Amino acid sequence: MSYAYLFKYIIIGDTGVGKSCLLLQFTDKRFQPVHDLTIGVEFGARMITIDNKPIKLQIWDTAGQESFRSITRSYYRGAAGALLVYDITRRETFNHLASWLEDARQHANANMSIMLIGNKCDLAHRRAVSTEEGEQFAKEHGLIFMEASAKTAQNVEEAFIKTAATIYKKIQDGVFDVSNESYGIKVGYGGIPGPSGGRDGSSSQAGGCCG
Amino acid sequence: MHINEIRHRRNGLHCLDYTVVSLYGEGIGSMDLVSGYKGVVGLVFGNESSGSNEDSYVERLLDRISNGKLAEDRRNAMVELQSIVAESRAAQLAFGAMGFPVLMGVLKEERDDVEMVRGALETLVSALTPIDQGKSQKNEVEPALMNTDLLSREADNISLLLSLLAEDDFYVRYYTLQILTALLTNSPNRLQEAILTIPRGITRLMDMLMDREVIRNEALLLLTYLTREAEEIQKIVVFEGAFEKIFSIIKEEGGSDGGVVVQDCLELLNNLLRNNASNQILLRETMGFDPLLLILKLRGVTYSFTQQKADPGKEANRLTNKTTLVQKKMLDHLLMLGVESQWAPVAVRCSALRCIGDLICGHPRNLEALGSKILGEGLQEAALNSILRIILRTSSTQEFVAADYVFKSFCEKNADGQAMLASTLIPQPYSMTHAPLEEDVNMSFGRMLLQGLTLSESDGDIETCCSAASVLSHILKDNIQCKERVLRIELEAPMPSLGAPEPLMHRMVKYLALASSMKNRDGKSNASGNLYAQPIILKLLVTWLADCPNAVNCFLDSRPHLTYLIELVANESESVCTRGLAAVILGECVIYNTSPEAGKDAFSVVDMISQKIGLASYFLKFDEMQKTYLFASASAAQPRKSLTRSTAASMADIENVDENYLPDGKNDHPILSSIFDSLFVTLVKSLEADIREKIVDVYSHPKSKVAVVPAELEQKSGESEAEYIKRLKAFVEKQCTEIQDLLGRNAILAEDLAKSGGGSNSHSEQRVGGAADRVQVETLRRDLKETTQRLELLMAEKAKVESDASMYQNLASKIESDLKSLSDAYNSLEQANFHLENEVKALRDGGPSTFPDVKAIKAEAREEAQKESEAELNDLLVCLGQEQSKVEKLSARLLELGEDVDKLLEGIGDDVGLPEDSEEEDE
Repeated sequence: MSYAYLFKYIIIGDTGVGKSCLLLQFTDKRFQPVHDLTIGVEFGARMITIDNKPIKLQIWDTAGQESFRSITRSYYRGAAGALLVYDITRRETFNHLASWLEDARQHANANMSIMLIGNKCDLAHRRAVSTEEGEQFAKEHGLIFMEASAKTAQNVEEAFIKTAATIYKKIQDGVFDVSNESYGIKVGYGGIPGPSGGRDGSSSQAGGCCG
Repeated sequence: MHINEIRHRRNGLHCLDYTVVSLYGEGIGSMDLVSGYKGVVGLVFGNESSGSNEDSYVERLLDRISNGKLAEDRRNAMVELQSIVAESRAAQLAFGAMGFPVLMGVLKEERDDVEMVRGALETLVSALTPIDQGKSQKNEVEPALMNTDLLSREADNISLLLSLLAEDDFYVRYYTLQILTALLTNSPNRLQEAILTIPRGITRLMDMLMDREVIRNEALLLLTYLTREAEEIQKIVVFEGAFEKIFSIIKEEGGSDGGVVVQDCLELLNNLLRNNASNQILLRETMGFDPLLLILKLRGVTYSFTQQKADPGKEANRLTNKTTLVQKKMLDHLLMLGVESQWAPVAVRCSALRCIGDLICGHPRNLEALGSKILGEGLQEAALNSILRIILRTSSTQEFVAADYVFKSFCEKNADGQAMLASTLIPQPYSMTHAPLEEDVNMSFGRMLLQGLTLSESDGDIETCCSAASVLSHILKDNIQCKERVLRIELEAPMPSLGAPEPLMHRMVKYLALASSMKNRDGKSNASGNLYAQPIILKLLVTWLADCPNAVNCFLDSRPHLTYLIELVANESESVCTRGLAAVILGECVIYNTSPEAGKDAFSVVDMISQKIGLASYFLKFDEMQKTYLFASASAAQPRKSLTRSTAASMADIENVDENYLPDGKNDHPILSSIFDSLFVTLVKSLEADIREKIVDVYSHPKSKVAVVPAELEQKSGESEAEYIKRLKAFVEKQCTEIQDLLGRNAILAEDLAKSGGGSNSHSEQRVGGAADRVQVETLRRDLKETTQRLELLMAEKAKVESDASMYQNLASKIESDLKSLSDAYNSLEQANFHLENEVKALRDGGPSTFPDVKAIKAEAREEAQKESEAELNDLLVCLGQEQSKVEKLSARLLELGEDVDKLLEGIGDDVGLPEDSEEEDE
């Protein structure tokens, strides 16, 4: 259970773009062709390693439907990273990216790292959004970009890990005040030497002291 | 105050509210507008002089607050307003009608004036706090409730209040939290929705957990209300780091030794985990269950929420939770708490036991762990034995139910476990089984259970026996090997002189009878102890007989059993469930009956049911039972009541439930509801369907007394007509009686149907009953038709035989008449003969006189004829001579003519030629 850092992620994007499938592929390494509509938010977690440091990812997969927006907005502020997902076979999901981004900028903290993901890249024959368009959009808005497939697992690991690496880099660069948990980052006791938080794990205070 | 008035007033207030809101949009209402309310409010409180006073007083104060110029005066007005609203219901009402826009205006516009803001908030708190009026009437509107309703209606208000939580002033935050809590208490749903829609609403509340102690404690309470049955809020709260914060508070407060704050923390924790798979995963994946166990290790009432962890969620998730929990030696702690800690309060012990049940249920590894668990240090005993001991010994129904639940969970889908327990069930000599229960720690599980089953008999108290019976029914459930094994157990009679050993099952039936007789003797009022004795034993029997023909056979071995059951079903003074379960057992005697023995076979049982109870009223027992609250509630898989502070407190009260329990009441007795768990209810329901089907089946295919083999209807070779007819006749006779029998049955059914049709009983029952009857009637009709056809066939045959017979008869009569005519002819011949003889005789007598005449005449005639012929002869001779000479002459002449006379005359010589000659001569 010990980790150097804990990052909170959210996954956002239109309904049906494959957010839950990306999460399932990342946490359970499996693909479920038919997935129930997400209600509210669902939680998933996984440990990864960056720079030889164990990092715990807590991921909240949000419902894409408009009716859940007010609920899902509550998750923006506390997240360190966001995966903004669209479906390369459905143009409208790409067109909505701007409004998602606006939502994120409005409710999230300014330092949140956003990864743009064009999902379902295995369905190249039905492609409606070119890779270049995706790249262009990411460049304009300062996002990291990647095309991925939850079905074939292509780039799924990479997407989550690259986002984590970006956040990690920001920490190293001193962008974040890691003692402030509202950035979605928590310092564990597994990687960073600091005052002992006691045997029962790191309490928030312990994390705070480390900063 | 009359309802109409209240409604009137409410409507008035609602109108006001809308007006107020719209005004509020334009800023603070001016004095003129405020005074405009006077009329309406005055109308409402018209008959209450004090009310009207309060009304104008509140109005004046509000006016001073909104229009006053002097800061000091406005502050004073606020203080006055607060104190009057805190004291008087009328003032609360008046404030609700007019005050919100004014105060919200203050909160919005005058943030800098901390004192005003504080005052406004305190006034709001007072306006939302119910004032206990000793004489308050039931139907009176509670002003505080109405005010919360008014305030929470606008999401903007909530948003405004939440923003106040960011203020530096302690009191501002404190009062705001109190207001929010009050709002949540009275209109939780509206507030939950509002807070969800406000960005960072929950975040702000969560921040309060890190505030100074007083605020933190308020926030804890607030969050507890907020998270109740609101899954999305629960998740957001957890997202905001609730687990870490809660555990750190618990630790700060001294863990499970802590006081009410820790309890609040645990309640919040319970809210967050209960039925929330997502949060359970998060806790397991990030913090683990260690912090929970840490709390558990220390003692206290407070651990109880952990049981929720094993509560519904996703199946897989639940299993993982259980695995993780047991890995953490949760089981040990719980056993320690539930079984070994006799000093712990009953409620805690019970919760621990139930938690053990939850942990092992459907989890093979945990089942095994419990099965092999040994407790104690010096004197060691298997954990299950200890729990059984609790069941047999406890006087607390609650503890019995909880411990029973452990066995239920242990035996559920655990054939190996059941077999293990059953294997120890070895009967002991009577004297051994009646050794004192307490002492022997080495006593096997089976011996202890058997002792429990039989011990109580001697003291005439069957409570212990029932407890043991309940455990036994878990061991037998769905396990045919165990059922068979226990069937073979025979008990020695209490006194050897009283006869042969009897099967354990028979002993159980005896207890059942004993239970009802005790109940009857005691009268209904004092039925508490035995109220569940019958259902428990009935459940045992239902479970035992299910799918086990041998058990059915054993049960029916004793003829009075069936009679007793039928009495039980028909006995109106028994409870609905008792009758229903007895009916189920009867049904099992039908569907699992493989006995060919007359009087014990399925058909006889059905026959007996139909004759003694009537099928319709028999099936009615099922329906009645289904309709009981127990069944209805068990079907809808009921979530366990959350163990909150209040329920924990009320747990002690359950011990008193017995006395207040009404057999027909809605409040279910804990033991009864544990008996009628959803599994058992499902079993009974599926049994019922089978029983209905089987009984219809039995009736549709009555065991025919006459085997109809078409070949046998044919005449056998070598069988004489008479034998054949005789055989057919016997056959038809048998069929006739059978038809008669069937008709009789049919009549019973029809009567039954008619009766049930007349009653006010459920339609479905009638339909099913009717259908069953119809099926049977149909079958009977078919049989009847078949028999009629057969009869017709026989009739035709008979007619043919008859016609043959009559033909022969005709023939015979003809011959007879021939014979008669013959004999007549003979007679007449004889007569003629006789006559002739007589004549002859007579003739002979007169003969001598006449004969000479005849002779004389004869002689005379002869003489005469002689003479005559002589003369003719002479003439002839002459003629001949003449002719001769003629011939000589002619011959000579011919000779002369050269004719060969000889040749010419050659042909003449015979008689015929003569005339020719003469003719020729003539020429």
